Amino acid sequence: MAGPRFVADLPEQLRAVPLETLTAVFHAPSGMTHLLAPPAPQILAALAGRPGTAEEVLGRIAEQFDVEAGDASAAMASRLAELETAGLVRRA
Amino acid sequence: MSDETGKTDDGGMKMPNRRVVLALGAAAASTVVTIRPALAQTAGSVLNCEIPVPAPEAPAGSHIAADGTLVPAGTQGAFPPAPRPITGEEARALLNGGPTPAGLDAEAAQAYTNYIRRLQAGMSGFTCYASLQMPR
Repeated sequence: MAGPRFVADLPEQLRAVPLETLTAVFHAPSGMTHLLAPPAPQILAALAGRPGTAEEVLGRIAEQFDVEAGDASAAMASRLAELETAGLVRRA
Repeated sequence: MSDETGKTDDGGMKMPNRRVVLALGAAAASTVVTIRPALAQTAGSVLNCEIPVPAPEAPAGSHIAADGTLVPAGTQGAFPPAPRPITGEEARALLNGGPTPAGLDAEAAQAYTNYIRRLQAGMSGFTCYASLQMPR
């Protein structure tokens, strides 16, 4: 199952400030501010201008991190749904 | 904090160079909190909020004296309750010495204005009055 493809805006369209373990992100296109906990910032980085399915995002993140999850696919789908609701990722 | 922070010259979105464990979290967990731009809505809500004169919790039949205090009905020089709530925009105009809102007696409106000035936290209309004090 391929599932939907998502894409995030380029880093230039965000103003991100790390706050200890959280990241405050100002999304310039929408004018909204969000507080993100891991792995949301990493997912945005993996999708920045580079569309991908949930599985592809998992693959990209696994290149740089040791991914830890019970059901990685379900967790990633859930994270992407959150980011889509917040307007930080959209369907590609 | 440890030395885990990677290069963040692009504003913090870059990932650390070292391999670190990244927990994806449970499916039901939440990792995004959106901060609603409440201040952007304030200007609009100030116009629309309402101040009942007097507050519904005031003793039944209260009238409003010229200085804004609540007095029993029939008190000399006092005015009956406002026929409708004063809107935030009308209150702002009244507090600034502006025109009397439509449908209100001019003298009574002055008493109502003094009543609004005396509003305190916990009384109906106070939040509306307080929001009028905020700079736009």
